[in-house]
Amino acid sequence: MKILVEHIGLSFLHTTQSLKETLLFAFKVVSRILDKNAYNSAVRMVLTDQIYFTSVQILPLFLTVAAIFGSVLVVILMLMVKELGMVQYIGRFMIGFMVNELSPFITVLLIALRSSAAINTEIAVMKVNQEIKTLEVFHIDTINYLFLPRIINGVISVVLMNCLFSIVVLATGLLFSKLIFGMSFNLYADVLLNSIYFSDLLILLLKCITYGVFITLIPILYGLRATNELTSIPVSVLNGMVKVFIAIVIIEVLSLIIKLM
Amino acid sequence: MMEHQHYSGLISLDIPLISNLDVWNNIALIKLYKENMPKREARKLVLKLLHRYHLEDIAYKRSTSLTEEQKFCVMLLRAAMVHEAIIVIDRPFIILHNSKDSRFMEDALEKIDDLYKQCHILEYIWNKSRYINNDAE
Repeated sequence: MKILVEHIGLSFLHTTQSLKETLLFAFKVVSRILDKNAYNSAVRMVLTDQIYFTSVQILPLFLTVAAIFGSVLVVILMLMVKELGMVQYIGRFMIGFMVNELSPFITVLLIALRSSAAINTEIAVMKVNQEIKTLEVFHIDTINYLFLPRIINGVISVVLMNCLFSIVVLATGLLFSKLIFGMSFNLYADVLLNSIYFSDLLILLLKCITYGVFITLIPILYGLRATNELTSIPVSVLNGMVKVFIAIVIIEVLSLIIKLM
Repeated sequence: MMEHQHYSGLISLDIPLISNLDVWNNIALIKLYKENMPKREARKLVLKLLHRYHLEDIAYKRSTSLTEEQKFCVMLLRAAMVHEAIIVIDRPFIILHNSKDSRFMEDALEKIDDLYKQCHILEYIWNKSRYINNDAE
């Protein structure tokens, strides 16, 4: 019994310490985002490259997933709504469920699977190869040069890709609403516009920004925890990715709680 | 040494080239970051400097595909990008381990002698005989 209590206590202390470190690091980086002196040619170059790698290279896959996944879910949703006789709530379902909940969740999962893993590995490899030390020797601030562009890119990518996913889902919704309910474009647009609330959009935007910050910040933090041994790279990526998925779930739950309040 | 820290351009195996940047980016990084030099201007400058070693063709390569001599030249140029650079080469024969003497290194330094203020070489005493211009302290 004593061992069990000790174990619970230790894991609680470990979790709170890890959370404290993550939040302190987030505060440090976010405060740099607001510092205009942090931006220079080198940082802008990294930011452009990162946006290209995260948002442009993934576009064909992302659009395909959005079209397939969006269509299937929209059809299921519309058939259920028809069966339950709740056609008058179709707009609320489309905006409230598909756009506000599902779209950011799938978007962040796709970006995290691809970019968070890449960032975590990249930083861990740089740590192992002593390239972080190289930057320090030449007085290049690692937060400004390495971390800031990746985190800004995370925010920009999640927000923009979420918009894209939502547009694809709503477009497939237009097609299937015509096929299933015989809705015209004007009626569909009317139903959707009447279901949009400013508070929901604000929560959606804040959620996407928070996702963007944490799916890049956590891999960076765990990449930095790699030691000088090559074997520490997979361990750091594994731990980082697990924490990224925990963070995604926590943010999703918190956003739902805020919405319910 | 501490007072010259901001001017020192270190060359050492312990301070490697950044592996996810190509050669020109590695050299230009200091200019881009510290002097906010525009990308196009920085690239032009680096290509001009690489031309001194007839190495323009490696500008878009990554460090892993370079020979030890090419790597040394790139590290040298990177160090020379520091404003009023004081170049410090840490045990050069560890980087140029196939070189029998200091001829290659001295030639490389001479080709860019307008880019740095001073150059110091840190070396083991038993390697003293490998230096052609031997004025070691």
